Amino acid sequence: MSRHDFGKECSVKVNRRTFIKGCTMAAAAMGLSEAMVPKLVEAAASDQRPPVIWLHFQECTGCTETLLRASHPDIGRLILDIISLDYHETVMAAAGHQAEEVLQETINKYQGKFICVVEGGIPTKDDGIYCKIAGRTAMDILADVAPKSMAVIAIGTCATFGGIQAADPNPTGAVGVRDLVKGTPVINISGCPPNPISFLGTVLHLLTFGKPPRTDALGRPLFAYGRKIHDQCERRAHFDEGRFAEQFGDEGHKQGYCLYKVGCKGPGTFANCPAVRFNDVGSWPVGQGHGCIGCTEPQFWDTMTPFYERLPGVDMPWGDGIVTGANSAGIKILGVTAAAVGIHAAVGIGKKIIGCGRCNTSSEDQE
Amino acid sequence: MRYEQHYAWSILLRLFHWSFALSIVVLVVTGFYIHFPWTNTLIEGETSFPVATMRYIHFIAGFVFTGAILARLYLLVFGNKQERFWDFLPVTPRNISNMFHTAKLYLYFTEEHRPRIGHNVLAGIIYIITFIMALIQMLAGFYMLYPESAAWQKWGLFFLGSQQQGRHLHFLIMWYFIIFAVAHIYIVIWNDIKTREGLISSIFNGTKYISSDNP
Repeated sequence: MSRHDFGKECSVKVNRRTFIKGCTMAAAAMGLSEAMVPKLVEAAASDQRPPVIWLHFQECTGCTETLLRASHPDIGRLILDIISLDYHETVMAAAGHQAEEVLQETINKYQGKFICVVEGGIPTKDDGIYCKIAGRTAMDILADVAPKSMAVIAIGTCATFGGIQAADPNPTGAVGVRDLVKGTPVINISGCPPNPISFLGTVLHLLTFGKPPRTDALGRPLFAYGRKIHDQCERRAHFDEGRFAEQFGDEGHKQGYCLYKVGCKGPGTFANCPAVRFNDVGSWPVGQGHGCIGCTEPQFWDTMTPFYERLPGVDMPWGDGIVTGANSAGIKILGVTAAAVGIHAAVGIGKKIIGCGRCNTSSEDQE
Repeated sequence: MRYEQHYAWSILLRLFHWSFALSIVVLVVTGFYIHFPWTNTLIEGETSFPVATMRYIHFIAGFVFTGAILARLYLLVFGNKQERFWDFLPVTPRNISNMFHTAKLYLYFTEEHRPRIGHNVLAGIIYIITFIMALIQMLAGFYMLYPESAAWQKWGLFFLGSQQQGRHLHFLIMWYFIIFAVAHIYIVIWNDIKTREGLISSIFNGTKYISSDNP
């Protein structure tokens, strides 16, 4: 790589080709026609596009990391290029009072026009004192910022459903954004972390159509969370036929068989992971040999654990899967055949040995 | 007319016949569904497995079919006189003459019926062809059921070709069995009406009635 290329690689700016590529990827993820791509591009390049305020509460910054540190920097750069990020504690240059001034200024200037992104759960116990920024509780900040935005995007399972903070016994009384924000649309980009494409698609949808994408009952966009992992999984055939990894590292695991018996929660989880995948290289947990942990679902820390035990109540075709079932039935059928033939042979030999008179005069032998 | 009772078919042969017949019916019905899964749905996320279920039933019926073939293979050599293959193949002068005579009878060139306790030779030839067809069908079936097994791959590639060729042959031979079943049932009824030997009931109780006036 020449010095010139290296400089390009480090640039935050996105060239037009990458920009259009990114918009096309997001259009594909949302299931939009390619005819819509120019509209997305126009909306995303518009000078009047809404600014974004990114609030961090009880979180690990993993969702931000996922956006910024994709193996190939395109998506991260694209997001930074498309959205005008006015306030984001992790990546902004300003700090302290300066940062808070920017926040207030954006809220006042763009009232009803900016997008509010929330990362992290919001503690509500004891008046929310367990998470404070600039002397204000997370509850106060959210109550101040969210109603003034055009829409709230809750990114990550903490912001959507409380995440690990909300796991039993939930000592800080953590909740998701939807439990607190009423009257402003809240779009849940669930996942731990969620796929950056799902976030990008939602942002582009807001920019292009001025309204949130269609969502399921839990507020998650249908284009990304409309289908079960299990129904799109590359290992699904092994489930139907009854070929499973019984434990990690066994022959079935090496053969790439279904991970349901080692705890995959795909049959109970809605997300686009098998279709969209991660890190621009087509990888995702099940592809790597690890079951889904159900991270896009509410209270997954409580309902999807233990992670390595099978999810109960999942119907398998014919109990064990069809090929495994047919194999065991086949062995029994062939066993019965062998027994029938054996009895026939034994009776024949027995008759010869005994030489019984009645048999010799039977019509069978007269012919 | 006097009739003599003759024991023709052993219990094992009758079991073979009915497990073979029933498995073919099930295999054809489920096989057509696998060929063209006509029940369609837009419902997602529900646990119903129509294709998997049909395939499962198909595989089970395939094992019954296999068991039946193996039992018949044994009886071809170790069965009673009527069940052994040299009794109904044109390998003796008597059998060759029976073959031509049966052909004439079926073509209405003659009215004379020459009774046999076992199969007539024309039928026997068809049964052996059916048996060979069944072996090919079984090989093609297992070739597709265990596509990754080295053993089935070896036999399948040698006799049938690629998976797709095996699949094609499996489909064509199904039609052989459908045509065979129709012809078989027609000729059995025809014979039962024409010759009054209790032919149809013999496959339930094993006994045939041969006129003692007619050697």
